[in-house]
Amino acid sequence: MNAVLGSAGVALGLAAALLGVATLAIGLRKGDGRFLRAGQRYVWLVLGGAIVATVAMQVALIGHDFSLDYVARNGSRSTPLLYTITGMWSALEGSILLWALVLAGYLAVMARHFRSRASDPLVAWATLTALLVAAFFFALMAGPANPFRVVSGLVPSDGQGPNPLLQNHVLVALHPPMLYLGYVGFTVTFAFAIAALVTGRVGEGWLVETRRWTMFAWGFLTAGVVMGAWWSYEVLGWGGYWAWDPVENSSFLPWLTATAYIHSVMVQERRGMLRVWNLSLLIATFSLTILGTFLTRSGVLDSVHAFSDSPLGPILLAFFAVVVAVSIALVGWRGDRLRSPGSIDSPVSREGAFLANNVAFAAFAFVVLLGTVFPLIAEAINGDRLSVGAPYFDRMTMPVGFTLLFLMAVAPALPWRKASGELLHRRLQWPAWVATITIVACVAAGLRGLAPLIAFGLGAFAAAAAGRQLVLSTRAALRAGEGRWRGLVGRANGGMVVHLGVVVVAVAFAASSSYGHRRQFRMEPGQTASVAGHTVTYLGSTETRRPNKATVAARVRVDGGRVFEPAVHRFPFATQAIGSPSVRVGPFDDVYLTLVSSPEEGQTAAVIGVNVQPLVVWLWIGGGIMAFGTLLAGWPGRRRRPAGGPQSADDQAHTEPPPAGDDSPSAPAQGPPVPVGPASA
Amino acid sequence: MLLVIAGALFVGAQGQSGPPTDEQRAARIAGQVRCPTCRGLSAADSDAPAADFIRQESLRRVRAGQTDNEIVGFFVSRYGNDILLKPEARGIAGLVWALPAAGLVVAIGGLVVVFRRWRARPGATVTDADRALVEEALRQSGSSGR
Repeated sequence: MNAVLGSAGVALGLAAALLGVATLAIGLRKGDGRFLRAGQRYVWLVLGGAIVATVAMQVALIGHDFSLDYVARNGSRSTPLLYTITGMWSALEGSILLWALVLAGYLAVMARHFRSRASDPLVAWATLTALLVAAFFFALMAGPANPFRVVSGLVPSDGQGPNPLLQNHVLVALHPPMLYLGYVGFTVTFAFAIAALVTGRVGEGWLVETRRWTMFAWGFLTAGVVMGAWWSYEVLGWGGYWAWDPVENSSFLPWLTATAYIHSVMVQERRGMLRVWNLSLLIATFSLTILGTFLTRSGVLDSVHAFSDSPLGPILLAFFAVVVAVSIALVGWRGDRLRSPGSIDSPVSREGAFLANNVAFAAFAFVVLLGTVFPLIAEAINGDRLSVGAPYFDRMTMPVGFTLLFLMAVAPALPWRKASGELLHRRLQWPAWVATITIVACVAAGLRGLAPLIAFGLGAFAAAAAGRQLVLSTRAALRAGEGRWRGLVGRANGGMVVHLGVVVVAVAFAASSSYGHRRQFRMEPGQTASVAGHTVTYLGSTETRRPNKATVAARVRVDGGRVFEPAVHRFPFATQAIGSPSVRVGPFDDVYLTLVSSPEEGQTAAVIGVNVQPLVVWLWIGGGIMAFGTLLAGWPGRRRRPAGGPQSADDQAHTEPPPAGDDSPSAPAQGPPVPVGPASA
Repeated sequence: MLLVIAGALFVGAQGQSGPPTDEQRAARIAGQVRCPTCRGLSAADSDAPAADFIRQESLRRVRAGQTDNEIVGFFVSRYGNDILLKPEARGIAGLVWALPAAGLVVAIGGLVVVFRRWRARPGATVTDADRALVEEALRQSGSSGR
């Protein structure tokens, strides 16, 4: 029953997406608005199909319908309800379903948002592109990655449950949806970029249209990446949060190019420059999400020879190739219109700083991509097997990270066009002093090591610069007779809050990776050991059996206070035991406890791993600040609101031409297609 | 100010550079070597038995007076080239170091060329008539509110 319903949902989604594409294509060819409006309506059928399929999957999971192969592999009667629900994204087929659902959701919001402009070719082409992407994912589910495949033969009475690592922590319920909201959100921006290229309206109009969508997707992607690190820290038990693992890298790569884009797009809005570059960044972001799915889902990274194991690998790779090829062809075809009239007068200017920022982000992304796929390349070339791991990435990305921190400090102080030395001196004077005092104070406090000290100094520099900016804008808001909070919203001010979050993350990263202490102790009950000023006392261990797992937990008292219980779980269907760490979280440092080996038969001594790292909690707080800053940046600002507009001004902000004095150079087109931007002249 | 920063950084970097203890050396070696039974974690980070063996073996060999290179060489001969988390800078593996360096040179070179070209472009000179035109346009857009 569930299988039929689910397959019907998938079929509906696929058919509606294809029909929508066809209808829009006919409408665009004939220039007939009726077809274009009708094409938009298929979006709702796509959403309906995705919802039906998702509901069917959830009903099957919660109702333990083991006649579905997916449920038999990823659900079990003993799995707690939360992890039964999250079982939907615990394996490949269900993840594709989640992807399709999120994409259908974005499509629907897009259709609603632009409903008054359904006959605008730009919107039609964007919808068509997004529908094509949706059709691809529904086709995956209809074919090689079918989540509703029925088990052949006897229906099992119980399933295996999700991967043990995916039923250990609440973050499993949050991290994947967040990440997908980020990943998939870039489809909208990408679709508009393609639409701009096809219609030839490559001016700044489409940028302004998609500005808030990009910000929204970026915020979710940021939250998703940080939550992934958090989950890794809380669950994997090796004491770190970022291992430069291919899975982590593939979520980080689109973030890097997207971050570059949201900076360089400001140069284009302001000066009409860097058009090809911005389109390339968007295309790169979208294709990297596909490439990331390919890398992590095809098993190709274990070895080139695992390639044939999954039929999905070649399909995703082919889709990636098509996206890249079509995009590059379009950029080439529109090359003449993309040539920008402006020029950058001086490297020491806001646009110069954005350019440097982009070079740094591109270098960052290149190094991460190269390091991730290099083992594949080497093996393909001459069969060499080699690894590229954390030491490589640390070495290569550290200078880039420092450059970015430095730019983050200097760029907000730089004016557009050209900066005079005197002006820079005035604006950067006290941030520079804050940085100096920070470094001196750190050295005086006994901190050693060049890299962390530089990181702290640059962090202080950047934080002071962002703080200065926020103080100025708050004062200006007060002077203008508005609430103080007005100085915190809007893209520029929200951006500064994001910068503060980045500084918090960077400082926490530098401190925790430079000043950690890691030890292991073999302890009898009652024994005490000490690490970096903390005492840990092993009290003994307990064993519990639940239907879904057997657990051995060590009871460890930290600093004579609370008792923590690092544990080892055995799941019925997993061969390996899964450790789960227990962390005493503190504002200054975390004490991370693992049960390395539990007491053997008839013995009482256990091996306890103790890992003390400073400032780890600030990584998550910094991530939270970044997400909050993104929210502030996307908040409808005063200037975007049409004069005398009603409360729904937010909704109209994209369709109404911005009032004079807005910092965007050209008004977005409304109604009939109007050439936008100076390039079309 | 720069002097103060340089001085502080110098002092900060100095404190660390005393001769490392045997344990520090062993930990550094284990950090460069992949844990053979896990994916992507270094032997220093993993709790797996094989990683523990590498840590113990590194410490034993450091105490026996072997150099870092000799010890790493031993692990390579035992587990193969892909035990190294940081590929060597020769052969095919050297590309992973050379390509980013080459990319950086090209990027900076490209930027220099672009700036040169922008510089060379004759800048438009603004006449009084232009200014008057702009002011007129601004006044009009201000009053009509578009």
